[in-house]
Amino acid sequence: MSEFSYMETVLSINNISKHYQSVTALNNVSLSIPKGSVFGILGPNGSGKTTLMSIILDILKSNTGNYSWFGKPNDSSQRKRIGALLETPNFYHYLSGENNLKITQAISGRGNAKDIEEVLSAVNLSERKKSKFSTYSLGMKQRLAIGAALLGNPEVLLLDEPTNGLDPVGIAEIRTLIQTLAKQGFTIIISSHLLDEIEKICTHVAILKKGVLLTSGTVNEVLRNEDIVEISAANLSELKNCIVEMGNYLSIKEEPNLLQVHFPSGSADLEAINQFCFSKGITLNLLLNKRKSLETKFFELTND
Amino acid sequence: MLLLLKIEWLKIKRYRAFWWMLAIILLSYPGINTGFYFIYKNITKGKDMANQLAKTFLGNPFSFPETWHTTAYFSSHFIFLPAILVIMLVTNEYSFKTNRQNIIDGWSRTEFISSKLIDVIIVSFIVTLVEIGVAIGFGFNTDAENWNKCLEQLYYIPLFYFQTFAQLSIAFILGYFIKKAFMALGIFLFYYLIVENILVGYLTVKNIPIARFLPFEVSDKILVSPAFVGNFGADAKTKYEAALQIVPEQILFTLIMTTLIWGVCYKVHQKRDIL
Repeated sequence: MSEFSYMETVLSINNISKHYQSVTALNNVSLSIPKGSVFGILGPNGSGKTTLMSIILDILKSNTGNYSWFGKPNDSSQRKRIGALLETPNFYHYLSGENNLKITQAISGRGNAKDIEEVLSAVNLSERKKSKFSTYSLGMKQRLAIGAALLGNPEVLLLDEPTNGLDPVGIAEIRTLIQTLAKQGFTIIISSHLLDEIEKICTHVAILKKGVLLTSGTVNEVLRNEDIVEISAANLSELKNCIVEMGNYLSIKEEPNLLQVHFPSGSADLEAINQFCFSKGITLNLLLNKRKSLETKFFELTND
Repeated sequence: MLLLLKIEWLKIKRYRAFWWMLAIILLSYPGINTGFYFIYKNITKGKDMANQLAKTFLGNPFSFPETWHTTAYFSSHFIFLPAILVIMLVTNEYSFKTNRQNIIDGWSRTEFISSKLIDVIIVSFIVTLVEIGVAIGFGFNTDAENWNKCLEQLYYIPLFYFQTFAQLSIAFILGYFIKKAFMALGIFLFYYLIVENILVGYLTVKNIPIARFLPFEVSDKILVSPAFVGNFGADAKTKYEAALQIVPEQILFTLIMTTLIWGVCYKVHQKRDIL
């Protein structure tokens, strides 16, 4: 049982489907997002990530199913507790960054004039706060949208591709910011193509493909359907024979200087492997229990 | 409602195009009426019999209390100017995708449409204020002796407001469904200036009595042509009185049409995907 299992559910999605004429954008998707989690929603282009996020923000209407925020009936007051960046930064082009945030503040009721200054500073836009939104670069627009989402410390942050348009420094800053917010107890729902980013910051993931939810759970649960042990010795072919003799493995993959041995989930015993190899006269120079990368898992699940 | 008003003010107050358009309206309405006033002056300024007859027949339609009616009638023909404002305010939300962001930030779908209803109410109110200023200006400047009658026929002010609101609601629904400013404005102008005039003419000639239910004609008939405008025939008085007689019905039909417009917008916005 994960540390989040007993926690309050922030968002509950039940059997949501969305069709566009003959295209099924989402097919019977159900998810629960625990409070305090950093929940990554992954999937290739067209998998339904943004459609799902749009539905839970009441931008799109689902054909079937329902959702509830904070365990309450769905209405606009729940959305005021959520800071969201969906697809593109949407602001009034003729207004300055600061004046746009005043509108966000007035609609959401989150924050005050001081908070607006603070978020502008947090996203490095203080110097350009009086400039019109239309004069901002793509990265600045994205940062303003993140600032708007952060305004007034919402209980939940929903970020759809938050690093779009940002340079490497900006991406690193957003990652640090999300990690900081997660430590402060914010619930963060995030979609991104950058699997490495997601793996670094998420506690939970859900993987979508063509509108179908393939898997969801804590990162450890999702990645832990088999154990991978990296192993190496002076003579790799002898080592391979030894592992074959030992048995109980799923597959052995030969890498340039090591073997990658896949075991059924929870069955890899490094001590036993070491002992067995030693008893066969093989001295190991590498023995490492390696978690499968999210990227590997993602491609396994999403490749046809 | 006050919060919605405050938020719409935040959107508008630094929107230069809005203020430029408003300045154009501020200049146009007195300009339009001044044009018609000079036509009137030209007809009545001569000393010969025809001019004096015209003066006796027309009176001074720009003095109190007729100025309320006359200026309201002429001003109402230029509804396409505030219509540009309304169309801009609704289509901007689509071009900036702020129609989505407002919902994401916490507005309900009903609040979004209500905010646009407030825009139309405000624009109609501003236009009516301009019209009141124009009427007072002409009343005092063309015949100051009649100022004691300035409180007569004041009902033309709410009638003008209602007609403006009804016709701007048509501009709104076009902007709401078409989403593109130029296309919505083009269709508005094409229908308002050409299509409906042809339809009214055709239906009148063919004696098919449904012209008064057409979208603009229904509210146009709230402000009947002043007695001196184009009614010089033998049946002028009868026609004028007939036009006056149907005003209450036209108010009711306009109310129904306007309620339908907003009802459709509220209903559709509840159900549709916000793209």
